[in-house]
Amino acid sequence: MFNRELLKGSTSLVLLQLLNERDMYGYELVKELDKRSDHSLQVKEGTLYPALHKLEKQEYIEFYWQEQEKGPARKYYRITDAGRAVLVEKTKEWQQFVSVMNKVIRRTENDPT
Amino acid sequence: MIQPKNEFLRLLGHELGKHPEKEQILAEYENHLAEMLSELNCDDMEEKETMTELYSRLGSPEEIAASWKEELSVTPRKTQWLFIIANLVFFAGGSILTLLHNLYDIRLIDMVWRSLTSIPALIIMLYLIFWALLGYEIGKGFGHKGRKLMRRTFVLSILPNIILMNLTLFKLIPHGWFQPLLSPSFIMICILFTALLYPICWAGYRWGKRASV
Repeated sequence: MFNRELLKGSTSLVLLQLLNERDMYGYELVKELDKRSDHSLQVKEGTLYPALHKLEKQEYIEFYWQEQEKGPARKYYRITDAGRAVLVEKTKEWQQFVSVMNKVIRRTENDPT
Repeated sequence: MIQPKNEFLRLLGHELGKHPEKEQILAEYENHLAEMLSELNCDDMEEKETMTELYSRLGSPEEIAASWKEELSVTPRKTQWLFIIANLVFFAGGSILTLLHNLYDIRLIDMVWRSLTSIPALIIMLYLIFWALLGYEIGKGFGHKGRKLMRRTFVLSILPNIILMNLTLFKLIPHGWFQPLLSPSFIMICILFTALLYPICWAGYRWGKRASV
Protein backbone atom coordinates (compact mmCIF):
# COMPACT_ATOMS: atom_id res chain seq x y z
CA MET A 1 0.00 0.00 0.00
CA PHE A 2 1.16 3.50 -0.84
CA ASN A 3 0.70 6.78 0.92
CA ARG A 4 -2.88 7.86 0.21
CA GLU A 5 -1.87 11.44 -0.62
CA LEU A 6 0.53 10.15 -3.29
CA LEU A 7 -2.29 8.17 -4.88
CA LYS A 8 -4.79 11.03 -4.55
CA GLY A 9 -2.67 13.25 -6.76
CA SER A 10 -2.51 10.66 -9.52
CA THR A 11 -6.04 9.21 -9.47
CA SER A 12 -7.19 11.30 -12.46
CA LEU A 13 -4.18 10.25 -14.51
CA VAL A 14 -4.78 6.56 -13.71
CA LEU A 15 -8.49 6.84 -14.57
CA LEU A 16 -7.75 8.55 -17.89
CA GLN A 17 -5.18 5.88 -18.72
CA LEU A 18 -7.62 3.03 -18.04
CA LEU A 19 -10.38 4.73 -20.04
CA ASN A 20 -7.97 5.36 -22.89
CA GLU A 21 -7.84 1.60 -23.37
CA ARG A 22 -11.58 0.94 -23.31
CA ASP A 23 -14.88 2.30 -22.01
CA MET A 24 -15.54 1.11 -18.47
CA TYR A 25 -18.11 1.50 -15.69
CA GLY A 26 -17.21 2.48 -12.13
CA TYR A 27 -16.91 -0.97 -10.57
CA GLU A 28 -14.95 -2.24 -13.55
CA LEU A 29 -12.47 0.63 -13.13
CA VAL A 30 -11.92 -0.30 -9.49
CA LYS A 31 -11.32 -3.96 -10.30
CA GLU A 32 -9.01 -3.14 -13.20
CA LEU A 33 -6.97 -0.75 -11.07
CA ASP A 34 -6.70 -3.34 -8.32
CA LYS A 35 -5.65 -6.08 -10.76
CA ARG A 36 -3.08 -3.97 -12.63
CA SER A 37 -1.44 -2.73 -9.47
CA ASP A 38 -1.29 -6.20 -7.86
CA HIS A 39 -3.62 -4.89 -5.14
CA SER A 40 -1.19 -2.07 -4.28
CA LEU A 41 -3.29 0.87 -5.45
CA GLN A 42 -6.42 0.66 -3.38
CA VAL A 43 -8.63 3.72 -3.53
CA LYS A 44 -11.65 4.21 -1.32
CA GLU A 45 -14.13 3.08 -3.95
CA GLY A 46 -16.74 5.61 -2.87
CA THR A 47 -14.46 8.54 -3.68
CA LEU A 48 -13.90 7.30 -7.23
CA TYR A 49 -17.21 8.72 -8.45
CA PRO A 50 -16.54 12.35 -7.45
CA ALA A 51 -13.18 12.00 -9.28
CA LEU A 52 -15.01 10.75 -12.38
CA HIS A 53 -17.52 13.58 -12.05
CA LYS A 54 -14.67 16.11 -11.98
CA LEU A 55 -13.14 14.67 -15.16
CA GLU A 56 -16.55 14.77 -16.80
CA LYS A 57 -17.06 18.40 -15.71
CA GLN A 58 -13.71 19.21 -17.34
CA GLU A 59 -14.80 17.44 -20.56
CA TYR A 60 -11.95 14.93 -20.34
CA ILE A 61 -14.44 12.05 -20.19
CA GLU A 62 -18.10 11.56 -21.00
CA PHE A 63 -20.65 8.89 -20.07
CA TYR A 64 -23.50 6.86 -21.52
CA TRP A 65 -25.92 4.38 -20.03
CA GLN A 66 -25.96 0.83 -21.33
CA GLU A 67 -28.79 -1.58 -20.67
CA GLN A 68 -27.85 -5.02 -19.32
CA GLU A 69 -29.52 -8.34 -20.01
CA LYS A 70 -29.54 -8.91 -16.27
CA GLY A 71 -29.73 -6.16 -13.73
CA PRO A 72 -29.94 -2.38 -13.97
CA ALA A 73 -28.36 -0.23 -16.71
CA ARG A 74 -24.67 0.58 -16.25
CA LYS A 75 -23.09 4.02 -16.56
CA TYR A 76 -20.09 3.66 -18.87
CA TYR A 77 -17.36 6.27 -19.10
CA ARG A 78 -15.31 7.02 -22.19
CA ILE A 79 -12.37 9.35 -22.78
CA THR A 80 -12.76 12.41 -25.05
CA ASP A 81 -10.21 13.90 -27.47
CA ALA A 82 -9.38 16.59 -24.89
CA GLY A 83 -8.89 13.80 -22.32
CA ARG A 84 -6.47 11.99 -24.65
CA ALA A 85 -4.50 15.19 -25.20
CA VAL A 86 -4.20 15.91 -21.48
CA LEU A 87 -3.29 12.27 -20.83
CA VAL A 88 -0.36 12.49 -23.29
CA GLU A 89 0.81 15.72 -21.66
CA LYS A 90 0.50 14.49 -18.07
CA THR A 91 2.03 11.07 -18.81
CA LYS A 92 5.08 12.80 -20.26
CA GLU A 93 5.31 15.04 -17.21
CA TRP A 94 4.91 12.04 -14.88
CA GLN A 95 7.63 10.07 -16.67
CA GLN A 96 10.01 13.02 -16.43
CA PHE A 97 9.24 13.32 -12.73
CA VAL A 98 9.84 9.61 -12.12
CA SER A 99 13.09 9.74 -14.10
CA VAL A 100 14.38 12.71 -12.08
CA MET A 101 13.31 11.12 -8.78
CA ASN A 102 15.05 7.87 -9.73
CA LYS A 103 18.25 9.75 -10.47
CA VAL A 104 18.08 11.60 -7.16
CA ILE A 105 17.24 8.49 -5.14
CA ARG A 106 19.94 6.42 -6.87
CA ARG A 107 22.48 9.12 -6.06
CA THR A 108 21.33 9.15 -2.43
CA GLU A 109 21.52 5.34 -2.23
CA ASN A 110 25.07 5.35 -3.54
CA ASP A 111 26.12 8.10 -1.18
CA PRO A 112 23.73 8.10 1.78
CA THR A 113 25.75 10.75 3.65
CA MET B 1 -28.32 -9.29 0.96
CA ILE B 2 -30.56 -6.28 0.38
CA GLN B 3 -30.56 -4.83 3.90
CA PRO B 4 -26.92 -3.57 4.10
CA LYS B 5 -27.19 -2.10 0.59
CA ASN B 6 -30.37 -0.22 1.39
CA GLU B 7 -29.02 0.89 4.74
CA PHE B 8 -25.82 2.21 3.14
CA LEU B 9 -27.80 4.04 0.45
CA ARG B 10 -30.19 5.47 3.05
CA LEU B 11 -27.26 6.85 5.08
CA LEU B 12 -25.57 8.20 1.97
CA GLY B 13 -28.82 9.84 0.81
CA HIS B 14 -29.20 11.43 4.23
CA GLU B 15 -25.61 12.76 4.14
CA LEU B 16 -26.03 14.15 0.62
CA GLY B 17 -29.04 16.17 1.81
CA LYS B 18 -30.81 18.23 -0.86
CA HIS B 19 -28.19 17.61 -3.46
CA PRO B 20 -29.32 18.50 -7.03
CA GLU B 21 -27.76 15.34 -8.50
CA LYS B 22 -28.69 13.10 -5.57
CA GLU B 23 -30.79 10.57 -7.50
CA GLN B 24 -28.12 10.02 -10.17
CA ILE B 25 -25.39 9.70 -7.54
CA LEU B 26 -27.37 7.16 -5.53
CA ALA B 27 -28.19 5.15 -8.67
CA GLU B 28 -24.49 4.81 -9.44
CA TYR B 29 -23.66 3.70 -5.89
CA GLU B 30 -26.57 1.26 -5.97
CA ASN B 31 -25.04 -0.44 -9.01
CA HIS B 32 -21.63 -0.45 -7.38
CA LEU B 33 -23.01 -1.98 -4.16
CA ALA B 34 -24.92 -4.63 -6.09
CA GLU B 35 -21.75 -5.70 -7.93
CA MET B 36 -19.72 -5.64 -4.74
CA LEU B 37 -22.23 -7.68 -2.73
CA SER B 38 -22.59 -10.28 -5.44
CA GLU B 39 -18.80 -10.62 -5.53
CA LEU B 40 -18.52 -10.83 -1.75
CA ASN B 41 -20.99 -13.71 -1.70
CA CYS B 42 -22.18 -12.45 1.63
CA ASP B 43 -24.93 -15.00 2.24
CA ASP B 44 -22.66 -16.55 4.86
CA MET B 45 -21.80 -13.20 6.42
CA GLU B 46 -23.52 -11.43 9.27
CA GLU B 47 -25.13 -8.10 8.36
CA LYS B 48 -22.74 -6.24 10.63
CA GLU B 49 -19.78 -7.96 9.01
CA THR B 50 -21.08 -6.98 5.56
CA MET B 51 -21.52 -3.35 6.61
CA THR B 52 -17.95 -3.31 7.97
CA GLU B 53 -16.69 -4.61 4.62
CA LEU B 54 -18.72 -1.99 2.71
CA TYR B 55 -17.35 0.81 4.89
CA SER B 56 -13.82 -0.50 4.53
CA ARG B 57 -13.94 -0.60 0.72
CA LEU B 58 -16.21 2.30 -0.12
CA GLY B 59 -15.52 4.63 2.80
CA SER B 60 -18.23 5.81 5.16
CA PRO B 61 -21.31 7.64 3.79
CA GLU B 62 -19.99 10.78 5.57
CA GLU B 63 -16.64 10.50 3.75
CA ILE B 64 -18.33 9.94 0.39
CA ALA B 65 -20.78 12.83 0.89
CA ALA B 66 -17.87 15.10 1.91
CA SER B 67 -16.05 14.22 -1.35
CA TRP B 68 -19.18 15.07 -3.34
CA LYS B 69 -19.74 18.33 -1.50
CA GLU B 70 -16.13 19.32 -2.17
CA GLU B 71 -16.45 18.40 -5.85
CA LEU B 72 -19.76 20.17 -6.33
CA SER B 73 -18.80 23.30 -4.40
CA VAL B 74 -16.87 24.51 -7.46
CA THR B 75 -19.41 25.47 -10.11
CA PRO B 76 -18.91 27.60 -13.24
CA ARG B 77 -21.50 30.14 -12.07
CA LYS B 78 -19.91 30.56 -8.61
CA THR B 79 -16.42 30.93 -10.07
CA GLN B 80 -17.61 33.43 -12.68
CA TRP B 81 -19.38 35.65 -10.14
CA LEU B 82 -16.52 35.42 -7.66
CA PHE B 83 -14.16 37.10 -10.15
CA ILE B 84 -16.73 39.58 -11.49
CA ILE B 85 -17.56 40.67 -7.94
CA ALA B 86 -13.87 40.81 -6.93
CA ASN B 87 -13.18 43.16 -9.86
CA LEU B 88 -16.26 45.24 -9.03
CA VAL B 89 -15.15 45.51 -5.39
CA PHE B 90 -11.76 46.69 -6.62
CA PHE B 91 -13.46 49.33 -8.78
CA ALA B 92 -15.95 50.37 -6.10
CA GLY B 93 -13.08 50.73 -3.58
CA GLY B 94 -11.11 52.88 -6.03
CA SER B 95 -14.16 55.00 -6.92
CA ILE B 96 -15.14 55.62 -3.30
CA LEU B 97 -11.56 56.53 -2.41
CA THR B 98 -11.34 58.94 -5.38
CA LEU B 99 -14.65 60.60 -4.51
CA LEU B 100 -13.79 60.94 -0.82
CA HIS B 101 -10.37 62.32 -1.67
CA ASN B 102 -11.81 64.92 -4.08
CA LEU B 103 -14.97 65.92 -2.25
CA TYR B 104 -13.89 65.85 1.40
CA ASP B 105 -10.83 66.84 3.32
CA ILE B 106 -10.14 63.74 5.39
CA ARG B 107 -6.56 63.29 6.55
CA LEU B 108 -6.59 59.49 6.57
CA ILE B 109 -8.09 59.35 3.05
CA ASP B 110 -5.48 61.83 1.81
CA MET B 111 -2.74 59.67 3.30
CA VAL B 112 -4.09 56.48 1.67
CA TRP B 113 -4.51 58.31 -1.67
CA ARG B 114 -0.95 59.65 -1.62
CA SER B 115 0.47 56.24 -0.62
CA LEU B 116 -1.37 54.42 -3.40
CA THR B 117 -0.62 56.97 -6.14
CA SER B 118 3.08 56.77 -5.27
CA ILE B 119 3.19 53.05 -6.18
CA PRO B 120 1.29 52.74 -9.51
CA ALA B 121 3.68 50.11 -10.89
CA LEU B 122 3.06 47.83 -7.90
CA ILE B 123 -0.71 48.27 -8.21
CA ILE B 124 -0.57 47.44 -11.92
CA MET B 125 1.49 44.32 -11.18
CA LEU B 126 -0.95 43.15 -8.51
CA TYR B 127 -3.83 43.79 -10.87
CA LEU B 128 -2.18 41.74 -13.63
CA ILE B 129 -1.75 38.91 -11.12
CA PHE B 130 -5.50 39.10 -10.42
CA TRP B 131 -6.25 38.46 -14.12
CA ALA B 132 -3.70 35.66 -14.32
CA LEU B 133 -5.32 34.11 -11.24
CA LEU B 134 -8.75 34.37 -12.86
CA GLY B 135 -7.52 32.30 -15.82
CA TYR B 136 -5.57 29.89 -13.60
CA GLU B 137 -8.49 29.07 -11.29
CA ILE B 138 -10.84 28.46 -14.21
CA GLY B 139 -8.25 26.30 -16.00
CA LYS B 140 -7.54 24.27 -12.87
CA GLY B 141 -11.17 23.78 -11.89
CA PHE B 142 -12.78 23.25 -15.29
CA GLY B 143 -9.93 22.07 -17.52
CA HIS B 144 -10.77 21.85 -21.21
CA LYS B 145 -14.37 22.95 -20.64
CA GLY B 146 -13.16 26.09 -18.87
CA ARG B 147 -12.10 27.95 -22.01
CA LYS B 148 -15.63 29.25 -22.75
CA LEU B 149 -16.14 30.13 -19.10
CA MET B 150 -12.82 31.96 -19.06
CA ARG B 151 -13.79 34.05 -22.10
CA ARG B 152 -17.23 34.84 -20.70
CA THR B 153 -15.88 35.76 -17.25
CA PHE B 154 -13.18 37.89 -18.87
CA VAL B 155 -15.68 39.85 -20.99
CA LEU B 156 -18.04 40.46 -18.06
CA SER B 157 -15.21 41.35 -15.68
CA ILE B 158 -13.51 43.76 -18.08
CA LEU B 159 -16.67 45.89 -18.59
CA PRO B 160 -16.00 48.26 -15.63
CA ASN B 161 -12.43 48.77 -16.94
CA ILE B 162 -13.66 49.67 -20.43
CA ILE B 163 -16.36 51.99 -19.07
CA LEU B 164 -13.92 53.82 -16.76
CA MET B 165 -11.33 54.09 -19.51
CA ASN B 166 -13.83 55.70 -21.89
CA LEU B 167 -15.21 58.02 -19.22
CA THR B 168 -11.65 59.17 -18.51
CA LEU B 169 -10.49 59.41 -22.12
CA PHE B 170 -13.53 61.48 -23.12
CA LYS B 171 -13.11 63.59 -19.98
CA LEU B 172 -16.54 62.70 -18.59
CA ILE B 173 -14.66 62.23 -15.34
CA PRO B 174 -12.51 65.32 -14.58
CA HIS B 175 -8.84 64.48 -15.09
CA GLY B 176 -8.04 66.59 -12.05
CA TRP B 177 -9.65 63.94 -9.84
CA PHE B 178 -6.92 61.46 -10.62
CA GLN B 179 -3.93 63.76 -10.18
CA PRO B 180 -1.04 63.16 -9.95
CA LEU B 181 -1.64 59.86 -11.82
CA LEU B 182 -3.14 60.98 -15.10
CA SER B 183 -0.13 61.88 -17.18
CA PRO B 184 -0.30 61.03 -20.93
CA SER B 185 2.32 58.31 -20.38
CA PHE B 186 0.25 56.74 -17.57
CA ILE B 187 -2.86 56.74 -19.81
CA MET B 188 -0.83 54.98 -22.54
CA ILE B 189 0.45 52.43 -20.02
CA CYS B 190 -3.12 51.76 -18.87
CA ILE B 191 -4.34 51.21 -22.46
CA LEU B 192 -1.37 48.93 -23.18
CA PHE B 193 -1.86 46.87 -20.03
CA THR B 194 -5.62 46.60 -20.63
CA ALA B 195 -4.81 45.15 -24.07
CA LEU B 196 -2.45 42.72 -22.32
CA LEU B 197 -5.09 41.49 -19.86
CA TYR B 198 -6.57 38.87 -22.19
CA PRO B 199 -3.23 37.24 -23.11
CA ILE B 200 -2.32 37.22 -19.41
CA CYS B 201 -5.66 35.66 -18.50
CA TRP B 202 -5.24 33.09 -21.29
CA ALA B 203 -1.72 32.20 -20.11
CA GLY B 204 -3.11 31.75 -16.58
CA TYR B 205 -5.83 29.49 -17.98
CA ARG B 206 -3.29 27.34 -19.86
CA TRP B 207 -1.17 27.04 -16.74
CA GLY B 208 -4.22 26.14 -14.64
CA LYS B 209 -5.36 23.59 -17.22
CA ARG B 210 -2.06 21.80 -16.83
CA ALA B 211 -2.79 21.49 -13.12
CA SER B 212 -6.36 20.31 -13.69
CA VAL B 213 -5.41 16.60 -13.76
